[in-house]
Amino acid sequence: MSILHDEGQQAIATESRRVLEARISKDDLLPLLQTSGRYHEGFWTTAKEQGWTALALPEAYGGLDLGLVELGLIAHQAGRSLSGAPFLTSGFGAAKAIELLGTDAQKQRWLPGLASGEAIGAVAFAAGADPLPARPDLTCANGHIEGRARSVTAGLAADVAVVLADEAGTPVLALVDLAGVERSAIDSFDNSRLIADLRFAGTPAEVIATGPAARGAALQILTLQAVVTAHEQTGGAEALMEIARDYAVTRKAFGQPIGAFQSIKHRIAELYGLVELARANCIHAAARVDQADFITAAAAARLSATEAYDTAARDCVQIHGGIGVTWEIGLHLHMRRSRSLALEQGNSLFWEDILVDRLAGEAA
Amino acid sequence: MSDLEAFRAKAAAWCESMVPAFGKAARKGLSVEEDLALGRRYQKAKFDAGFAGINWPTEYGGQGLGHIEKITFEGEEMKHGFPNVYFGISLGMPVPVLMQFGADRDFVKERVVKALQGEEIWCQLFSEPSGGTDLAGLRTRAEPDGNGWKINGQKVWTSWAQYSDYGVIVVRTDPTVAKHKGLTYFWVDMKAPGVTVRPIKLAGGDSHVNEVFFDDVKISDDHRMSPVGGGFAVALTTLMIERYVATDSAGFGPHLDLFVDLAKDVKINGKPAIEDGRIRQQIARNYAMRAGLDSINRRARLMMQAGMTPGPEGSLNKLVAVRSRQKLSELALDLQGTDGFLFDEHASPKDDWASSWINAPTGRIAGGSDETLLNTIAERILGLPQDHRPDKGIPFNKIPA
Repeated sequence: MSILHDEGQQAIATESRRVLEARISKDDLLPLLQTSGRYHEGFWTTAKEQGWTALALPEAYGGLDLGLVELGLIAHQAGRSLSGAPFLTSGFGAAKAIELLGTDAQKQRWLPGLASGEAIGAVAFAAGADPLPARPDLTCANGHIEGRARSVTAGLAADVAVVLADEAGTPVLALVDLAGVERSAIDSFDNSRLIADLRFAGTPAEVIATGPAARGAALQILTLQAVVTAHEQTGGAEALMEIARDYAVTRKAFGQPIGAFQSIKHRIAELYGLVELARANCIHAAARVDQADFITAAAAARLSATEAYDTAARDCVQIHGGIGVTWEIGLHLHMRRSRSLALEQGNSLFWEDILVDRLAGEAA
Repeated sequence: MSDLEAFRAKAAAWCESMVPAFGKAARKGLSVEEDLALGRRYQKAKFDAGFAGINWPTEYGGQGLGHIEKITFEGEEMKHGFPNVYFGISLGMPVPVLMQFGADRDFVKERVVKALQGEEIWCQLFSEPSGGTDLAGLRTRAEPDGNGWKINGQKVWTSWAQYSDYGVIVVRTDPTVAKHKGLTYFWVDMKAPGVTVRPIKLAGGDSHVNEVFFDDVKISDDHRMSPVGGGFAVALTTLMIERYVATDSAGFGPHLDLFVDLAKDVKINGKPAIEDGRIRQQIARNYAMRAGLDSINRRARLMMQAGMTPGPEGSLNKLVAVRSRQKLSELALDLQGTDGFLFDEHASPKDDWASSWINAPTGRIAGGSDETLLNTIAERILGLPQDHRPDKGIPFNKIPA
């Protein structure tokens, strides 16, 4: 399988970058931090209008039938420009679950809306520190869900969620129409992620997988989302590396650009290394979808992308000195995003275990 | 099957067939001299089979194929631990430069073919006691002597000089101009009167590098491979010849599988180390890092196959792989506790943790130190400014010592 991007794929990368750079500025994003429940509508309008929501969904349901490679390229650009809403990844995860496990009726009901972006999807598997709990917090009985799904990204705006629940000691994956479900916004350090607690009180749900199949499918969805997020993280890290470089060649101290000092230039060169390793892992992982080694490739991408974005956020601010910690310069937007993306789709500890279990031949 | 896959299959089959005569088992217990003799026979066999000088012109004994075929062969070859290390520098840099810049073409052709056959070895005389990274600051001088030149000075860290027949050398021919403008590039006969080679024993016990002294060594002007004062440009050519060689994401140390095996084997607090979070984290981090390098290398190969120039990210491999190999080797010794003391000076750094650990510092210094590589990335790829250089533009003989 090719891991060089073809002309169409390169065009997707170039065009999405152009559009996002023209339409998104940090001045639009900063106010979103100080309110709850708002996202960058311009970003989402752009995503819908450009067909990004439809990209990796089947043609029969209004999708464009492209894959993870193309969605990854968009996510990378979204990461560069600090995407103003989390729905590309959450909607993709929910749609993939429906595509893989749902009935024709369920696909008819949800996929066209998710593809056009008119419907917003969310995925709720985690219970706090456990991204994929063996005993989920939610319970399911006779097609009804009870309990609280905590800190669900995009939960405040989502129309439909795929949840992991416990049905008499067995895990199930269920599809829930969120209309009328009570939600409370979580005040987070990155408010445009629209993180919310969802309270289910006998909410009707349709079980789409049961037992080990449910857990396996949940891991598969999480893995697909992790690869998309890894691209977004890599894009963010790349942008920060460039911001640091641009600052280091213009800012002067002791009569020379600070980028002439090895303590600064080596730090930026190290960021370059982290970004390129993450990028290479992302490209590889996206090209390995449906192969036996997809999950290890995804874990490698996720781990290196998290490290790249976290480190770039830390070092880029440090290289800027005092101006770097001001509200106005907005580097904290990346700081915040690097951590919110690190916590979504399973933290590094989770992916380290996933990886080592497989390398040691101990995976279930 | 594509042509390249067919070539790979042919290369793999040939390498397999060479294992009984030249593989790790055949080399076990040999002295360096015996191993070198075996290496020469291996190199001849490689030449006869059509796998030497793969991307060199056929009129010089090469195969006239592409760079992609060369690294494809090397990828197969490096699986077996053949005794080819003695020819790595020789065929990697000095001989290609000779092929490009040597004046007497008949002489060049004869040397190239003998080097490809393993009969002759060339070394590269660049680094000096006063500096390695600062190549243009070298002090060995050549003065006009009749119709030729007379060389005096000292080189150091010269790999395989003690077994070399010839060497390429950069020397100072004019100390009154800025440092990189007063250099000239020559080839020398390593057996000429006045050339003295002294092996240097390294920390790990081996002695592949040398000091080389030049005392009134006389050479004719047809040894010159650059214009007088134009040696620095040829030296840079040497260093840029092949950025993409067959790389190893393990940093020429043990494969990560060996670490996983070790972690399954030893216990921490009564439990297999593979269950310990500290160990697991290191395995996962190293895997992600090496997978990234592997992917960069695969992408570079695909780009070359497609006739494109690979990106500069290929320059990360040595920097990232070797220093992490050093730390992983320390951890592997830790894991073994006092059993880790065991040390075999002749063990291979590719499958022995102590050998990998003690030889790792050499890897982080030779061929561009970590710091030099970071500077190169910062300046050449990212466009960051050069370091402050007080000697810039000053005549060499006016630079404060």
